[in-house]
Amino acid sequence: MRQSVRVIFALFAIVVAVNGVSAPAVAKDLKVETQAGKFIDIKEVRSPGGITAWLVEDHTVPVIAVEFGFLDAGGKQDPTDKQGLAQLASNMLDEGAGELDSQGFQGELENLSVRLRFSAGRDHFSGGFKTLSRNKARAFELLKLALTQPRFDSEPLGRMKIANQSRLKGSMTQPDWIATRIQNDRIFEGHPYGRNNGGTLSSLEGMTGDDLRGFMKRLGRNNLRVSVAGDITAEELGAILDEVFGALQESSIPEDRPTSLQSAGKVYLHVKDVPQTVIEMAQPGISRKDPDYHFAQVMNFILGSSGFGSRLTEEVREKRGLTYGIYSYFMDYEDVQVLHVSTSTATASVNEVIGLIRAEWARMTDTDISEKELSDAKSYLIGSLPLSMTSTDRIAGLMLSLQMDELPIDYLDERQKKIEQTTVADVRRVAQRVLKPELFTTVLVGKPESSKDAVLVERLPNVE
Amino acid sequence: MIRLRPVLPVFFLMLFLCAAILSPALAKEADVAAPTPPTDKVFNAQTFTLDNGLQVVVVENRSIPVVTHMVWYRVGAADEPPGKSGIAHFLEHLMFKGQSYPGLGEIAPGEFSKIVRSLGGNDNAFTAQDYTAYFQTISSAHLETVMRMEAGRMRGLQLPREAVDSERLVILEERRQRIDNDPRAQFDEQLGEALFPNHPYGTPVIGWFHEMEQLSWEDATGFYQRYYAPNNAYLVVSGDVSVEDVRALAEKTYGLIPKGDVPERARTISPPFIARTSVKMTHPVVKEPVFQREYRAPSARQNAKDSLALQVLEEIMDGGSTSRLYKSLVVEKKIASSVSLSYISFAWDDATLAVGGTAMDGFTPEQVEAAIDDELRLLITGGVREQELKEAILRLQAQAIYARDSVAGPAMVVGYTLVTGSSLDDLETWPQQIETVTAKQVQDVAAKYLNPDAPTSTPFVNGYLYPPQTKAEEKAP
Repeated sequence: MRQSVRVIFALFAIVVAVNGVSAPAVAKDLKVETQAGKFIDIKEVRSPGGITAWLVEDHTVPVIAVEFGFLDAGGKQDPTDKQGLAQLASNMLDEGAGELDSQGFQGELENLSVRLRFSAGRDHFSGGFKTLSRNKARAFELLKLALTQPRFDSEPLGRMKIANQSRLKGSMTQPDWIATRIQNDRIFEGHPYGRNNGGTLSSLEGMTGDDLRGFMKRLGRNNLRVSVAGDITAEELGAILDEVFGALQESSIPEDRPTSLQSAGKVYLHVKDVPQTVIEMAQPGISRKDPDYHFAQVMNFILGSSGFGSRLTEEVREKRGLTYGIYSYFMDYEDVQVLHVSTSTATASVNEVIGLIRAEWARMTDTDISEKELSDAKSYLIGSLPLSMTSTDRIAGLMLSLQMDELPIDYLDERQKKIEQTTVADVRRVAQRVLKPELFTTVLVGKPESSKDAVLVERLPNVE
Repeated sequence: MIRLRPVLPVFFLMLFLCAAILSPALAKEADVAAPTPPTDKVFNAQTFTLDNGLQVVVVENRSIPVVTHMVWYRVGAADEPPGKSGIAHFLEHLMFKGQSYPGLGEIAPGEFSKIVRSLGGNDNAFTAQDYTAYFQTISSAHLETVMRMEAGRMRGLQLPREAVDSERLVILEERRQRIDNDPRAQFDEQLGEALFPNHPYGTPVIGWFHEMEQLSWEDATGFYQRYYAPNNAYLVVSGDVSVEDVRALAEKTYGLIPKGDVPERARTISPPFIARTSVKMTHPVVKEPVFQREYRAPSARQNAKDSLALQVLEEIMDGGSTSRLYKSLVVEKKIASSVSLSYISFAWDDATLAVGGTAMDGFTPEQVEAAIDDELRLLITGGVREQELKEAILRLQAQAIYARDSVAGPAMVVGYTLVTGSSLDDLETWPQQIETVTAKQVQDVAAKYLNPDAPTSTPFVNGYLYPPQTKAEEKAP
């Protein structure tokens, strides 16, 4: 394969040029706001019971995708000695509910071909559900059961703990995972983000059914967000929203804990006998709610997020053959923002690659980008939006990402405009504002030759 | 639920891109397949063939104004000359290094992907044992542009010599990243090597390091000249476009390229397995012992009927957490923390069926092996229940519906199908064919291909991956 696949799209969401056109309510108590859009038509559906969802109706294929999330219910709320609790909960919610034990519940999901998964981010907890239209009645009942009557039986609990521990042991053989673990520990020091979201071998060992029942209090109808796409009407969805999510209670959402990145300027080294050294660098990023955010996206496209054509790929891979892949990307958490650079290179060329990255930081702040770079970046960022909407679950997922960031339904319309308006001067100004090479925290995993200034990290933090 | 699956063998390095793995049957070439009732077919694909031999397939999906455009060459790593391992994949990289063809324009080295990006599209390419594919996903308004570009490099590669030197370093870094930094990938590579003695599938797609270092401009351009031609390729377009539009565009672009003189595929054959073959590897960073067995099994092209039965067998043995292997080894006996059985029917020659698991604390890979063998014997002697069979078939058929909910997915499945020697009709009628599989057939293919007690007639390799020292009594920290 020519290019390693990175999720470029995860970082900027998608679509929908929106013009507000209200439709009359289609049923008593059901409220539907329709937005006629260029690519797609999003409706805001409010159920009789007062639960809101965004809907893209599409009857092409007889499937329904539901993506839902609970704000701030993710790993950052795990107690220090229970890190990985949200992650374990994400594995346990489909391991038995109501009258059905683990095998009974999984058997029904499998035989109805219902796709159900939960996932725990640092900030949020989310789920994805997809069913064939013909099985929807029972499928939605199973979803409701998982969310409202999970059993947390000891047999699957033990099994899921072991599966997570096993995954952790597997990760410990991966140099890129090790580098990320060390980086999170250092840059988020003192904040819950610095812990191991997937749990440690011992924290997982100690978790109980009561811990999981405590976790469920984080899932409330007040922090619930829902997006739906596929073979379903607004009217039908209204009733289903009440049926599936109506029984959820209110949850208390923790205060934000804004923080800044730690360990600026430091270099950390974990020695490993491998032929290639992994390089992970991080410096402060920019919030999706910041007025400069879209300009920063354009800047980063040119700098390193775009793969082929990005300056980092041109300099490090295309001209010199020093790596298979190099990327820069923004991460926007609730409490802090990060700009990452990830790459790997043969042992002998580590310092050369780091020097090239720093040189590109300087070039971006010291000189203007070209008009061609600007127009290519704009046309990609604007034109590629529909590429992230090629299935019902992707459409629902994109809508949910807007909802989880508490962005308006017409956000993307605004985004397209802001990107279109970006100038060479905007990019230079934002580069000078954001790019701070002196603040890089660098983590190396491998056995680079000249790394005498690096702080040695022998024991991996929050793993065992 | 969390299901941990062992990493796929390196030969299948590329298959992770496949959204839903459907599998076809029978080995016959279909030049024209006229689709009729849409409800019965998986994709309702349309197909035609240009005068130069290029078969074109179109899967229409108007949900979103996006198309995926793919060219699949019927040449891969298993077609490389001896001593030149990695040349098919290296050439795939070099195909982005400049082109010029009469009527199809010129592109400077390194500009191909940048042009696609500047049109709001994404592109990439991948290489496997039997095929090499190039694709773009882009707004349907730009389909003609990418068709012109892709057609332009079918015979128009203008490869600068200096590009070969810097890109060789890139593929060596790719090998370090994918294989040499990862003990599990090294283990899988060794297993594959042992499973295919005297057959090119035993050589990893990416190549052996010492041979990759020696690959030259002459090797790359020679391989290109020999195999890249319209009559050795398939064009697949899925998404927001009609077959009429694709036909007109294909004639204007790919139609300009004459038929090539492509050599017949000739591959060496593995001798029968006489001794039992095992691969044992101990690695200092491995934390948990793994057992992995790989069998050679018939591909869809070689034996459509048995291949279908093996697909149902796979679903019964490893179709989720109520399937036989997971239920027995992970839920009930708690010998393994994960287990899997995977069979990928898309291969020109023998397919690989892999079964294995990660041992729980206190258990050895040999105990995982014994438990898997017990399940295989149970299948061979006891067969499968009618209910079990019916449920497995229904689940497989559901995958065919989900597969339609995608733009790129159908193009991938169509490509895998055609390029490994099955027909479009095999793919379109797959749900009906899978329904004909009987309990007896599943039992028979288990006995024929997977019998652990007949190692001399059944080609398989057992792999054991150990942590530095096996300390069964040592508890996890």
